Amino acid sequence: MKAYLFALFFLAACSQYPADPKDTLKRATHGVLRVGYSENPPWTIATADGPEGIEADLIKAFAKKLNASIFWQQGTENILFQKLEKNELDIVIAGLTNKTPWKSKKIGLTRTYLKIEKEKHVMAVTQGENRFLIELEKHLYLYQSKQP
Amino acid sequence: MNVKFEYPQELADKFKRAKKIEWITLGVLVCSAFLMFLTMGQSQTMKTAWLEDVLSLTPPISFLISSKIFLKPATKDFPFGYHRIVSIAYLCSAVALFSVGSYLLIDSLIKLIEMEHPTIGTQFFFGHQIWLGYIMIGVLVVTNIPIVILGYKRVKLAKQLHEKNLYTGSQMSKADWMSAVAAIVGITGIGLGWWWSDAAAAAIISLDILHDGFKNLKQAVLDLMDQVPKNMENTETDPLLQKVKETLEKEPWIETSWFRIREEGHIYFGEAFVVPKSEVNLVANIQNTIKKVTALSWLIYDFTIFPVDTLPDVPENN
Repeated sequence: MKAYLFALFFLAACSQYPADPKDTLKRATHGVLRVGYSENPPWTIATADGPEGIEADLIKAFAKKLNASIFWQQGTENILFQKLEKNELDIVIAGLTNKTPWKSKKIGLTRTYLKIEKEKHVMAVTQGENRFLIELEKHLYLYQSKQP
Repeated sequence: MNVKFEYPQELADKFKRAKKIEWITLGVLVCSAFLMFLTMGQSQTMKTAWLEDVLSLTPPISFLISSKIFLKPATKDFPFGYHRIVSIAYLCSAVALFSVGSYLLIDSLIKLIEMEHPTIGTQFFFGHQIWLGYIMIGVLVVTNIPIVILGYKRVKLAKQLHEKNLYTGSQMSKADWMSAVAAIVGITGIGLGWWWSDAAAAAIISLDILHDGFKNLKQAVLDLMDQVPKNMENTETDPLLQKVKETLEKEPWIETSWFRIREEGHIYFGEAFVVPKSEVNLVANIQNTIKKVTALSWLIYDFTIFPVDTLPDVPENN
């Protein structure tokens, strides 16, 4: 028990607490961020030069923060969420709200980063990578706090 | 038949206190269920803890309902009175405790098999980002401190009052705080990157709860089947029965006797078949012996004696 507590404080002090079971954040930093998107303007817009839109821009800024390059994958929500469940993607954006029917899948959702009337907008992430989720939520919060 | 209060004066006061404690318990559980409902978000762990909280409302509710009923005087339709409602309330509580254990075990095993990685995000307070895991641990600690204290008080009262329902309630409190500790360990483990820690801790704790639940469920059914009264832990026959036996054996007018006692809620009903040595003074002797037996304890509420020629077939000892 003592050793356990010690380990806990040690890790908390290193600010690596909570940690990622699959080291997603570590892998993405200076590496590759795997993002799935399904077209849903104005959140995600597919163009010849890749995805544009509010959420695509948010992800681009996040990747820049992590010094990561982005591997974009376009698809239907069905296909993207299957990949997210298998941890073949890190994030899925598609103008999702917290009422998305996919939330019963083995995935995680971010906190609401934008509220438009009663629609609470979220992004989907691979499940259980809590350190990665914290960094993403921090990024989304900064965007949220700049909104009027 | 005259109506008397089931408990002697001293215990009647304790019963009032038990009622008060159950009201407080009910209040605490409702508040903690509400707090958990607000913090649980997507967390399956917290959802389980919440469901448990809701289920653990059963013992106090069934206790408080039965306490309104069991004191009613016997009526034409219920000539034995309403005491057995207490045994029925006990059965309800035992079922609830057993369900909590089963649910927790099945739920955590499914999580382990499906390799579910719990996702716990963050919340912002005045610009500060706080991991929800910390908040969950905080809620679990805060809501379980009163549950531990109330549970401890209930065990003591339950034994004095011969209140099995109250006793089950206190075991439910134990189940509550133990699974809260499991959840705290589990969430801490999740933070360390051990996705399985939450489900594993819950599965281990659930075995203990299941054990308590099964023990009580079995006893509640056996009580309703008029099993010989047992002590609160259900490990041995109530020593009071031995005293009744001795009292009957000491009576000089009794040649031989056999008696049976069953539990109706808090109290005992019994009847003895006796072969008298002679029929002289029979009625007075019977009256006298009944008085002696019922004076042994407040638990023996109703005791009758039948004079017979020969004893009925006495059941074999197990």
